[in-house]
Amino acid sequence: MTAAADLPRVAADTADRLARAEPLKALLTPMADVRASLATQATRVTPAGALAGMPVVVKDNICTLEFTTSCGSRILEGYRSPFEATAIARLKAAGALIAGKTNCDEFAMGSSTEHSAYGRTHHPLDPERVPGGSSGGSAALVAAGAVPAALGSETGGSVRQPAAFCGVVGIKPTYGRVSRYGLVAFGSSLDQIGVFGRTVSDAARVLRAISGHDPLDATCEDRDALALPAEPENLQGFVVGIPKEYFPPDLDPGVRRACERALGLLKQLGASLREVSLPHTAHAIPTYYIIAPAEASSNLARYDGVRYGPRFDGAVDVRALYRSTRGQGFGPEVRRRILVGTYVLSSGYYDAYYRRAQRMRALIAQDFRTVFDRGVDLLFTPSTPSPPFKAGEKLGDPVAMYLADIFTVTANLAGLPALTLPIGRVDGLPVGGQLIAPAFLEDEMLEAAFALERVVPATGDA
Amino acid sequence: MSGTAWEAVIGLETHVQLRTRSKMFCGCSSAFGAPPNTNVCPVCLGLPGALPTVNGRAIQLAVRAALALNCQVHVRSIFARKNYFYPDLPKGYQISQYEEPLATEGSLAFTSPDRGRVTATIVRLHVEEDAGKSLHDRFPKATAVDLNRSGVPLVEIVTGPDFRSPSEARAYLLALKEVLEYADISDCDLEKGSLRVDANLSVRRAGDTALGTKTEVKNINSFAFVEKALAVERDRQIAVLAAGGRIDQQTMLYDAKANAVRPQRTKEESKDYRYFPEPDLPPLVVPEAWLTEERTALPELPAARRERFATQYGLPAQDAAVLVQSRAVADYFEAVVGAGAEAKPAANWVMGEALADANARGGALRVPAGAVARLIALVKEGAVSHQAGKRVFAALAEGGGDPRAIAGSLGLLQVADINALARWVEDVLAAHAAEVARYRTGETKLLAFFVGQVMKASQGKADPKLVSPLLLERLGG
Amino acid sequence: MSVSRDEVQKIARLAELHVDDAALPALVEQMSRILDYVAQIAGVAATESAKPFIPGPAATRFRGDTAEPAPLAFPPARMAPAFRDGFFLVPRLGAFEASAQGTGEEGE
Repeated sequence: MTAAADLPRVAADTADRLARAEPLKALLTPMADVRASLATQATRVTPAGALAGMPVVVKDNICTLEFTTSCGSRILEGYRSPFEATAIARLKAAGALIAGKTNCDEFAMGSSTEHSAYGRTHHPLDPERVPGGSSGGSAALVAAGAVPAALGSETGGSVRQPAAFCGVVGIKPTYGRVSRYGLVAFGSSLDQIGVFGRTVSDAARVLRAISGHDPLDATCEDRDALALPAEPENLQGFVVGIPKEYFPPDLDPGVRRACERALGLLKQLGASLREVSLPHTAHAIPTYYIIAPAEASSNLARYDGVRYGPRFDGAVDVRALYRSTRGQGFGPEVRRRILVGTYVLSSGYYDAYYRRAQRMRALIAQDFRTVFDRGVDLLFTPSTPSPPFKAGEKLGDPVAMYLADIFTVTANLAGLPALTLPIGRVDGLPVGGQLIAPAFLEDEMLEAAFALERVVPATGDA
Repeated sequence: MSGTAWEAVIGLETHVQLRTRSKMFCGCSSAFGAPPNTNVCPVCLGLPGALPTVNGRAIQLAVRAALALNCQVHVRSIFARKNYFYPDLPKGYQISQYEEPLATEGSLAFTSPDRGRVTATIVRLHVEEDAGKSLHDRFPKATAVDLNRSGVPLVEIVTGPDFRSPSEARAYLLALKEVLEYADISDCDLEKGSLRVDANLSVRRAGDTALGTKTEVKNINSFAFVEKALAVERDRQIAVLAAGGRIDQQTMLYDAKANAVRPQRTKEESKDYRYFPEPDLPPLVVPEAWLTEERTALPELPAARRERFATQYGLPAQDAAVLVQSRAVADYFEAVVGAGAEAKPAANWVMGEALADANARGGALRVPAGAVARLIALVKEGAVSHQAGKRVFAALAEGGGDPRAIAGSLGLLQVADINALARWVEDVLAAHAAEVARYRTGETKLLAFFVGQVMKASQGKADPKLVSPLLLERLGG
Repeated sequence: MSVSRDEVQKIARLAELHVDDAALPALVEQMSRILDYVAQIAGVAATESAKPFIPGPAATRFRGDTAEPAPLAFPPARMAPAFRDGFFLVPRLGAFEASAQGTGEEGE
């Protein structure tokens, strides 16, 4: 907890750190605006709040009153939201400082932050590499030490994958744990606000502050805020499942080594390990890439230049206004996904694609329930199939980029909580290990994460 | 092929605004008439990051409507998105229901001007949100958009192809309006837009069972226009087919000024709404308690009430129809009877004086039912004449009070005292000896003259019913 | 199961997205690639019968019917690209094009 007198110092210090991190191109808010806003916020913050004085940067697809919300897109360039997300209001009520908006793939669609209309963000350890996506800006700034925590959003792994790439902690809560009011919708049945942190503790505290019932979000469960577990002595009694589908023969050897080391440590902590199977895993990516674009195509229909945002003008009639605004305002990845989504919902294709994908989703969710019902407490998997890749490497083939999410989308499809923490380095690049828990059992996941974090050589070569 | 009659086959789709204070998916006021874009919020503006929440009262009213229309209410139903682009549809989709609606398989019996009693099938009833308003003529070269109406709660009520003429379709609509108003579900004002109707119409030779190609008829803004628009489209289709042509499946817009229909000018493919379940809203589950509550709260509906008024009170069908038109009036009539009046006089007074007063004054039935009953008793007892009674009623409407006291203070109480009457009779006969003599020679028509003179002498207070026999007795007739 | 050029154009119209003629061939190829890839789930028999998975609460909660709007820090006029006399403005639609909902042409 920060004393009230310290807050202006924290504000200025944070601004300095963010300025030093400028080469990462992670922050979208101009530094002058960040500095001024932080100074003002420092005088208004509740010093006694649970997060008092903690600076937090926020992915630019979450609505804030202090700064614009562009979602990494031209179609919302300069857009000032007249309301703030519930999660932001709760952060502020807990005393946090909102330290600016971060770069992301446009409308959260991507896995590298290369699809932002405002330029790509650089990996904090290697500027030629991507920080992951879509919440790359938030991940990079936490990794660079500019802020202790950040908000991102998850639809198919957009917090966990960049967290793993950048070597920080990333948490995706259970679907319905955190209000989506004010999170700009991409895939409504998949979206959740997620948290980045330098440590499990920082990330968990932020998650607790933003979680809990919100009457403004009908999909937010009627539960109290997350209760944080105590850091455990050991993991005696924990049964950790190792799903074989997440350790395919062609898994990157460095990632495999890091995971095996982490599993060894879990065993040393007293957990028992068990090989399990999630048989429908192979269908997860195609299922996700039907459902998410379908919902996105509908969620992005509101961007039409009529009520807000820039208008790409000269239109002679309304249809022309729509087509030019949307054609020019959306980037190529977003346009592709809107078209795919429109296609899979269209008459004649709905049954074959969307309806079938929703059923496949049920099978994927059932895979997890079956395993958890048989005495497994948590699953451990690699967070990503490889260490961070180079910018431009996966832009040639859209499906190649999709496959970066192969270990993360299942938790979004099944609505389950999942966490990544750094478990080592491969050729100097961070690699993450993932824990997946049953619905609403974030506390079990956090206990295991606390314990593992203490002993794993996060920056040691695997 | 002369002489083969054509038959229209018509189905109606009605959108009805529900009487709630707030909108369907947000807490904005749903009141009509506010300055443009003042009853708006992030949700009904379709701002990035906004989410819908469900108005419980709207669901209750929708359940009530479903029960009033004899529907099967589905305890669990699903919201769905209907995706299309239009300036007054802020999200680019409307939250509605599609594969799993709130209610199906209902019916509404009504009297067709052509065929007597007809039962319309209600294929489905579901809940959805209204769109905003687009005004095309307010500014040159621009369309003005007002989103106050965006998100107002609606039920959509769809019939089967049940109607065989434009006037029959109109009769159904009036019956539907009556039921929905009775059950306090909606104002059902076609001109204000709280009830909107679109029609599907096809024609076929009388006797055919197959359905012809149908068109959709839109932009019908009054009950009268319902009949006109459908007649125009029916005639158009008949003319096309009779000349050997084919009907194109398209949307026809009614132009009230020209009394014509013309195809909606759109180059788009037929609309593909890409319905899918609304991911921002969990399934709609109607609490058991609401079903019970709404079933019990459902008022006796107009058709049943008309019948009961005819049988229980022995009222002619015409009277029953007038009284039942408004729930308030029907309740009032029954209250007057409940306070002791006989049915027929009660009906007459309610249909006559009470309604006239209410209509002149913009709706309220001003005289308490008990007072009306007492007034009726007074007239029956002969204490006031019917004419005098009307003046008493007027006074009651203005200032309340007790009928007898008012009659007294207005000097309207009739005298039925035989002695007083006898005295007046004596005086009159004494004053008109010549006429008496003429009467006694056979000019019996002079009786009316004598009655008039007695009324004059008594300043109108004599009870004419009693005066005649007294005169006859004295005149020795 | 590739998509054709015509289909892509039709979908683009449905989505109100302008697609440059020059960009069309690449887009058709990319969309074919993506749709072929995701179509693989069609081969799985179990998807015939499984019930769809709906995350989140099992039943919707109801809001009370009080006119209490969600807050707006400033009115629509401040954010609108074109606004006059209280109305959002858009370029005029073709005359007499009624909305799909049948709300019809509104005149003064």
